[in-house]
Amino acid sequence: MITAERKPLDEIASCIEPYNRILLVGCNECVTVCAAGGRKEVAMLSSALQMVSMKQGKTLSVVEMTLERQCDPEYVESLALHIDGVDAVVSMACGCGVQEIARRFGQVRVFPAVNTKFMGASERAGVWAERCQGCGDCLLGLTGGICPIARCSKRLMNGPCGGSGDGKCEISGEVDCAWHLIWERMKALGIEDRYEEVISAKDWRPARGGGPRKIIREDLQ
Amino acid sequence: MNLQHRLSSGKFVILAEMHTPKGVDISDLITNARGLKGRVDAVIIPDMDNGVMRMSALAGGALISREGIESMIHIYARDRNRLALQGDILAAHVLGIKNLLVVQGEEMRLGDHREANPVDDMDELELIRTVKTLQGGKDSAGFDLAGKPSFGVGCTMSLWTSDRELDLELEKTAGKIEAGAQFIILPPMFEAEQLVAVIEKIRGFRVPVISTVFILKSVGVARYMSLKMDGINIPEELIQRIRKAGDREDECLRIAGETIAAFGQLSQGVRIETMGWEHKLPIILDYAGR
Ligand code: SF4
Ligand code: SF4
Repeated sequence: MITAERKPLDEIASCIEPYNRILLVGCNECVTVCAAGGRKEVAMLSSALQMVSMKQGKTLSVVEMTLERQCDPEYVESLALHIDGVDAVVSMACGCGVQEIARRFGQVRVFPAVNTKFMGASERAGVWAERCQGCGDCLLGLTGGICPIARCSKRLMNGPCGGSGDGKCEISGEVDCAWHLIWERMKALGIEDRYEEVISAKDWRPARGGGPRKIIREDLQ
Repeated sequence: MNLQHRLSSGKFVILAEMHTPKGVDISDLITNARGLKGRVDAVIIPDMDNGVMRMSALAGGALISREGIESMIHIYARDRNRLALQGDILAAHVLGIKNLLVVQGEEMRLGDHREANPVDDMDELELIRTVKTLQGGKDSAGFDLAGKPSFGVGCTMSLWTSDRELDLELEKTAGKIEAGAQFIILPPMFEAEQLVAVIEKIRGFRVPVISTVFILKSVGVARYMSLKMDGINIPEELIQRIRKAGDREDECLRIAGETIAAFGQLSQGVRIETMGWEHKLPIILDYAGR
């Protein structure tokens, strides 16, 4: 999933300072799972912003909505009913959701209320970690199911580097060395011989090297 | 008188572009440069122009300076992050390179190492600001430098295909000058009217404007550019003139020379884009009456 963290309240409040009526839009998918921008967070942010506003001697009216998926035009369309009555939109979805609203409603300013972080997985309650950088040419099959691009600090294709120690990365004792994990996994799978194979420098064209990306499926159009 | 002085005192300048080798054989570069000594004000060394991997411009610029010819190197942020860029800019100063031309790097997909990962850590504007910051004795993180580098810093304008695009380009160029660029190099043009029109528009920037003469090497090149490159206008008469000439190669050189002479009347300087004909520059300059 796409992970996100809510921006500091001050930052959001200062974005909407000139406005009296806002539409606050959450998303029911990724940002709900990582507890950054779902229905619950929408309600909490709404109250917090109204309190800030009250302290400034103003009244802020907030229309709260949480869409099934904010990156989907079909759901974003439902905001059309409310958009005329507000001065600005605050989106609690990831950057994809914010941009979908901006694309659909050209006349109104849209502010992000979360910082979109990475594509990752939940490690345990309250902890999410980066797992994939969407390189467009997945090589997990070569690395035992552990991604060196997202999880090795140096994005080494043939690791580990000299800084790997006790299974941890040299940047921090908190970060696992991806190549240590890859090696352990290869051993467990009985494919250690694969480790000797040199992975050549990556072709970054399918990643962002080729510019902004698009998927076109003729069969679905 | 060095290039910066000539530019600031309103004197005419000629800049010739020369490419570093794809490899380590520098003999052509050195021989061609020696042939130009005293005839151009500076040699411009592009850095991996068109995204084609070559010896770095830093080395090329240093070699040219060693020959006693003033050099100007391209810098851009596609391949280097802010550390590498700043490190190279400091190196350029100590290696005797006196001028930097901040350009936009070609897209990776159009070069010869298409799989490479573009860096793009900063844009042209930020890079110009960074050079200014370095010249002020600090790096971009705000730390003090031991000794300040100094350069003449120029920017370029890209081709445009409509008045609207030209307006946007002018706006961007104004920003670059505000950020610290001291002169503008225009994209290649092939007739005086085009140049007059744009010079009229940038007069207000109050910085020296250098036009670009691109050496058309054949009818094929002229036709190709005319058809495939947005914003390039090559008059049909020019193409016919090459086609009908008895000695087409000589005609190409003559045209380049005449264009330099004509553009020299309209702008404060001319950059000659050589496209591999560096060795023919002396003849071209003869035809230009320089
Ligand atoms: S907008 Fe789409 S991608 Fe973003 S959080 Fe919602 S469902 Fe996930
Ligand atoms: S190899 Fe690429 S696609 Fe596969 S997990 Fe890593 S970044 Fe994602």
